[in-house]
Amino acid sequence: MKQTKILFGCFFTIFSLFSCESYLGGDFNADPNNPVEVPIAAQIPSIQINLVDVYGGQFSRNNNQLMQQVEGVARQCTGFNSYSGLVPSRFSTVWTNIYENILNEIKIAQKVAAEEGYAHYTGMLNIMEAYTLMISTDVWDDMPYVEAFQGINNLNPRFDTQATIYEIIFNLLDESITLLQGGDGGLAIGNDDVYYEGDIGLWIKAAYAIKARGLLKHNKFAEAQDAAKLSFTSPDENLGFLYPDQNAAAPWYRYNRDRTGDIEFHPQMGNLMQGLNDTARLNIIQSTFRISHPYMTAKFHQELISYREMQFLIAETDLWLNQSGTAEGYHAYLEGIKASFKELNLPDSDYEIYVGQSDIDPGMGNLDIEDVMIQKYIGLYLCPEVYSDWRRTNIPKLTPVTGRSVPVRWEYSADEYSFNLNAPEVGSVNIFSDRVGWNR
Amino acid sequence: MKKFSLVLSLVLFTMGFAFAQRTVVGQITDGDGAPLIGATILVKGTDSGTVTDIDGKYSVNVPDGANTLELSYTGYETQEIVLGVSNVVNATLSEGVTLETAVVTALGVKRSEKALGYSVQQVGGDDIGRSGASNAVDALVGKAAGIQVTRSSGTAGGGSRILIRGVTSMVGDNQPLIVIDGVRTNNETQQSQAETAGTAVSNRLMDLNPDDIESINVLKGAAATALYGTSGASGVILITTKKGNKGEKFSVDFSSSVGFDNITNMIDLQNEYAQGWSGGYDDPSTGSSTSWGPRISELEYSTDPNHPNAPGANAFFADGTYRYDPNGFIVPKGTGNGQAANVYDNVTPFFQTGNTFNNSVAISGGSETATVRLSVSDRRENGIVPNNEYDRQTVKLSSSLSPTKDFTISGSVNYSKSEFVKIQQGSNTSGLLLGLLRTPATFDNSGGLGSDAVDNPSAYIFPDFRQRNYRGGGGYDNPYWTVNLAKGFEDVDRVFGNLQLNYQIDPWLNIGINSGYDIASDVRKQEFEVNSRTNAAGRILHDDFKTKVFDNYLNFTGNGNLTDDITFNYLANATLFSFNSSQNFATGDGLVFSGFRDMSNATQVTGGNDIERYRQVGFGAQVEAGFQNMLYLTLTARQDYDSRLGNPTDFNLSNTGFFYPSASLAWVFSEVLGSSDAFSFGKLRLSWAQVGAPPPDPYSTSSVFGPFSVGDGWGDNINFPIAGRTGFDNANLLGNPNLTPELSTTFEIGADLRFLRNRLGLDVTYYNRKTVDAILNASLPRSTGYANVWLNSGEMTSNGIEVTLNATPVSNKNFQWNSQVNFTKSESIVDKLAPGIERLFLAGFNTAGTYLVEGNQYGAIFGGAYLREGAGVDGIDESLNIPAGAVVINDNPDSPEYGFQAVDPTQRAIGNPNPDFIIGWNNVLSYKRFTANFLLDWREGGDLWNGTAWALSFFGTSQLTADTREETAAPIEGVKSDGTPNDIPVVRDQSYWTSSVGGFGAVGEQFVQDGGWVRLREVGLSYRLPDYGRLRGGSLGVSGRNLWFQTDYEGIDPETSLTGTGNGQGFDYFNMPSTRSVIVTLNLNF
Repeated sequence: MKQTKILFGCFFTIFSLFSCESYLGGDFNADPNNPVEVPIAAQIPSIQINLVDVYGGQFSRNNNQLMQQVEGVARQCTGFNSYSGLVPSRFSTVWTNIYENILNEIKIAQKVAAEEGYAHYTGMLNIMEAYTLMISTDVWDDMPYVEAFQGINNLNPRFDTQATIYEIIFNLLDESITLLQGGDGGLAIGNDDVYYEGDIGLWIKAAYAIKARGLLKHNKFAEAQDAAKLSFTSPDENLGFLYPDQNAAAPWYRYNRDRTGDIEFHPQMGNLMQGLNDTARLNIIQSTFRISHPYMTAKFHQELISYREMQFLIAETDLWLNQSGTAEGYHAYLEGIKASFKELNLPDSDYEIYVGQSDIDPGMGNLDIEDVMIQKYIGLYLCPEVYSDWRRTNIPKLTPVTGRSVPVRWEYSADEYSFNLNAPEVGSVNIFSDRVGWNR
Repeated sequence: MKKFSLVLSLVLFTMGFAFAQRTVVGQITDGDGAPLIGATILVKGTDSGTVTDIDGKYSVNVPDGANTLELSYTGYETQEIVLGVSNVVNATLSEGVTLETAVVTALGVKRSEKALGYSVQQVGGDDIGRSGASNAVDALVGKAAGIQVTRSSGTAGGGSRILIRGVTSMVGDNQPLIVIDGVRTNNETQQSQAETAGTAVSNRLMDLNPDDIESINVLKGAAATALYGTSGASGVILITTKKGNKGEKFSVDFSSSVGFDNITNMIDLQNEYAQGWSGGYDDPSTGSSTSWGPRISELEYSTDPNHPNAPGANAFFADGTYRYDPNGFIVPKGTGNGQAANVYDNVTPFFQTGNTFNNSVAISGGSETATVRLSVSDRRENGIVPNNEYDRQTVKLSSSLSPTKDFTISGSVNYSKSEFVKIQQGSNTSGLLLGLLRTPATFDNSGGLGSDAVDNPSAYIFPDFRQRNYRGGGGYDNPYWTVNLAKGFEDVDRVFGNLQLNYQIDPWLNIGINSGYDIASDVRKQEFEVNSRTNAAGRILHDDFKTKVFDNYLNFTGNGNLTDDITFNYLANATLFSFNSSQNFATGDGLVFSGFRDMSNATQVTGGNDIERYRQVGFGAQVEAGFQNMLYLTLTARQDYDSRLGNPTDFNLSNTGFFYPSASLAWVFSEVLGSSDAFSFGKLRLSWAQVGAPPPDPYSTSSVFGPFSVGDGWGDNINFPIAGRTGFDNANLLGNPNLTPELSTTFEIGADLRFLRNRLGLDVTYYNRKTVDAILNASLPRSTGYANVWLNSGEMTSNGIEVTLNATPVSNKNFQWNSQVNFTKSESIVDKLAPGIERLFLAGFNTAGTYLVEGNQYGAIFGGAYLREGAGVDGIDESLNIPAGAVVINDNPDSPEYGFQAVDPTQRAIGNPNPDFIIGWNNVLSYKRFTANFLLDWREGGDLWNGTAWALSFFGTSQLTADTREETAAPIEGVKSDGTPNDIPVVRDQSYWTSSVGGFGAVGEQFVQDGGWVRLREVGLSYRLPDYGRLRGGSLGVSGRNLWFQTDYEGIDPETSLTGTGNGQGFDYFNMPSTRSVIVTLNLNF
């Protein structure tokens, strides 16, 4: 029995030395590879790159396909091209990216910025939020916002009307401009800002550009033009991100590389440009969609909003405000075209030849809305905003690929239909006839 | 071999091997004088023993001091014989009804089978060996009721999924716990690429050499596994490995086998129509993906570059010869050189006959105080897909030492080394079958080289490093490219085993310590050459997994008689368990030049580390009381603490703990009723148990940030750091600090009945299991800012019936036929997910994926459906199932899909992948020295989504599309929007199969097919060798696996699983084909 006692002694010593609390507890169940909180500057690159990526990705592919700048020719894209594939499940990823990877992240960062009083960060985040909301409501109309982003505390956020969303957008932009014009509150924006590397002046210009874009859709032409004039003064100031190389390549390059042959240049746009003897630009953009494409390159400045868009906006509003236009509008029109040639890396000489044609440059006082909108349509090649322009003006005239009309909005995400009790009924949205708020 | 003997003699030497013993020989016969084959002879009080041979003869070593032999045979009365001076002991056993077989139960406790109030089934090592399977999981098919095994594919080194009594957990791992020699062992599947793509996954039990398995016990219900706590919730597979026996003569077992594998079947491809679109031919250089071109019989070749149909300049080499076909490019008949266009069979020459070579040798023996067994094995497999390889070497040493009568120290060490070369499969543009089956019949992937193309790069790569494939370098990898330039390598080193101390102080007190360790390193490299379709810039992936599992038990056990009528035994135990799996990964992107697939050639390298860890502490107790050898009551209780329930920011030990009880009752009513020749034995079983389970993943109690990749899944995502910055994003999965364990309560009732002197046995079990508070990653509407949250919200009910029928229809001196039927039926219904959530994603694709759908069986196939009458109508359409009404036809004349089925805007549960029942019928017939066996495996029902056929219908390469494209126009069955029968004639041609009701469209239901089968899983014939000289028996046999099956499934084989061992089952998307094998085995014993 002596042995027994020794053995027992050993066991109980081992077990008394050992404590459940320390073996199981502390932060043992904390993920050693992922932090539970991060500083604000660590979040900015993710938010910004996600935003350009969704805009140059799904927004561009969807909108510019509907606008017949590009054509889905294989696999799932044939269904998108003929509209039959535009079912809710196809909008789940883009909705997820917008809500989860952009807006919710902005909300988290905004909270930190507000708590710490980092006024410039708040300004910048508000501009990004306003921009994201605008591109989203322009295709989805009503969407959850006021009750959104509460995680488990609100599983069924109500949908807000587009009018409410736009009111919020304009407030955010105005507030941002004021904040950015003041002090930074203790933390200056650094090179975590992959768009402007903390250049506050450029952020203010971008805020005006976004505001101009929003006002235009509400037919507030004078205010839109005023805002546009306070925005970019050269294409170098465009809001966007320069994708560095093939390892972090721009969305269209990645698509052409990884889904080669699914989407190609649209003959409709080709014919339109051919009719305008737009050969220099056409030669570039009609190349087969491969990694060798001269415009859709890996290293690519993916824009969110551009100088040339503002120039076309000034030209258009000028025509709405002044019967046959002023010199300002006329110059803006030519400046927009010129910037488009520059965007495609074409020499000024090509631009000169092109605008040397009288139907392209009919001279001051002879421009009409159609001229401006056609040039904007070409000049904003692959820019999702042409979808808004077309819905406003019906220029260019497009023949629906199938059926009687081109869709005028997107479907909601299948996930939202499934999991949000406050979402509309599946099937209640008609993408061919339910126009978004400003488009009714 | 020399080294090997040296090692062995050292081991034996250190253990003080001694051979002081006598040898007793004899013959055992039955009452009629017929020899009893396989009767057990045990030397009482020692571990020494043997079994009788075909003539009923035996030879056993009796250690000094022992003087009693115990002779037993199933169905016969056990006899004890006290040894006299004679070394020859013959005996006759009489048929009886006693049933004192001991079975290994939870925590290694041997209990009398009679006393068990729950169902346990044992599969012997012979059955495992006969199966010819290299993976112990595969060897279990059909051999026990209640289990379901699904082999993921025919890939050499591919894994298998096993379930016991269906699924227990909603999102956790539903595979059973694997316990080898009393300690928990990892059967993990490490996923380094997308579940539906990448290479086939393995399961770690493959590292165990099946020749080392003595027996496998399947613990099915919660009452059987309650002592394993949370980890036993999905059932337990107890594996006992072979060991040396005390007093056993030194022996050598040698086994050698060679096997050949072939592809079982192939999907039906068309060979009538050429590459192209709308009836026009497209040259490969155009990148055209489809086979909707002209009839091949209307085409011929031309080599004239000035031909009006000549393809563009990029289709020619600099010297003007055509790149894609040595015969020239294709032109309409009558305009070329008159040589008719070839119809190429790309599939047949591609697959090869796989082969397997397996050699193993084991040496075992024992003295009075020590035992040892050492085994070495070597296995080499070459798959049916060129370059797919699996090599495994194992070494296992087990030994024990008893310095005193009551003290034993024992241990085992397994080392296994496996090397895999795996090939890309499934849904990715480098996936093998993806490129192979989409290739038009007018394009030869091998470039005229046939099967030599595997070793000749000119078939798949041009001198300028561009890829040669049917889409001009775009699209999908040429299969010959895939097997050469997109290989995945896995190199697994694993050491596992245990160390055990046992001190028998008294019959009432035995102290045991068992410590297990399992350390695995899995080093992987995946290459993608420049111009690979998944990564045109080239990519190298390194994954380095290290998994460490430690499991420690302290057990106090004892037993004895309380009174003459009452027997009693108990167990008290404490366990400590820890799991740590660390993954270091590095990705090298943008290779500088072709031909050197190494990290040093990458222009961007990113890397990271990922650790998964958890720990458990548990305390358990069990008491068993028996009354008059007739009524047995067992009670167990266990308290577990699991780190996965801990909140890292506010830790409270009591939040991590949970308690579960079990009770079981066994009533041997034949003791009361008395037994007869006709009715030999009868027992009723009844049990109730409650088991808790922690969250399936650690860290579920908090939310984190990470540098997550950016993108939308249509092309490759991009990873931080980007442009010199890294960016953090809050994870899409919201943590929940309030998680509690999920609870399942099982009720089980069963009967074990034996008739005709045990010649016929029937074992029936019914169980019901209710799981509440199931932890699941509930989907959230993304407007909440998150995709999922961990919630204790699920409820699931499972029911099942298991029947095992054992019969020995014939048993005489020369001929014996043993037959066993195992019937399994289990059904798990998802009662509830989370508030407002009707379905939950498990795995798969947009058009058809596996989901949990409220009210449906576990893991429903969910996806796009045809519109039916009643869809969306209140009162008719109340669930996510397909409404009962007729299919509605699109009757809008403006629609391009006029006359086709309309699409339901709501996705539906379109299939149920769970089989209705499974039957395994296993037969062993012995005639003299010959033994034949066969196992029929019948799986009834269980849907599969044939995604391969779905995709191929778009591409126009399947025979279906050849048959339908020129059919006479006819209305599709259904009704128009006004409810009248459809009368719009359509031809199901290109416009149909590329629409939203065709491949890549919105509908998945048209390709949901019955995945049931009847399969000749195993068949074999062997001859037992007689003793000859030093040879002490052995066998020579030939066996076949999967030689024949019958199914309604239109894919390759319904036994397939794209996601490998995961919970998302039921879809096939360009998965690797299955194989049939013939194996010749020679066993020699010395």
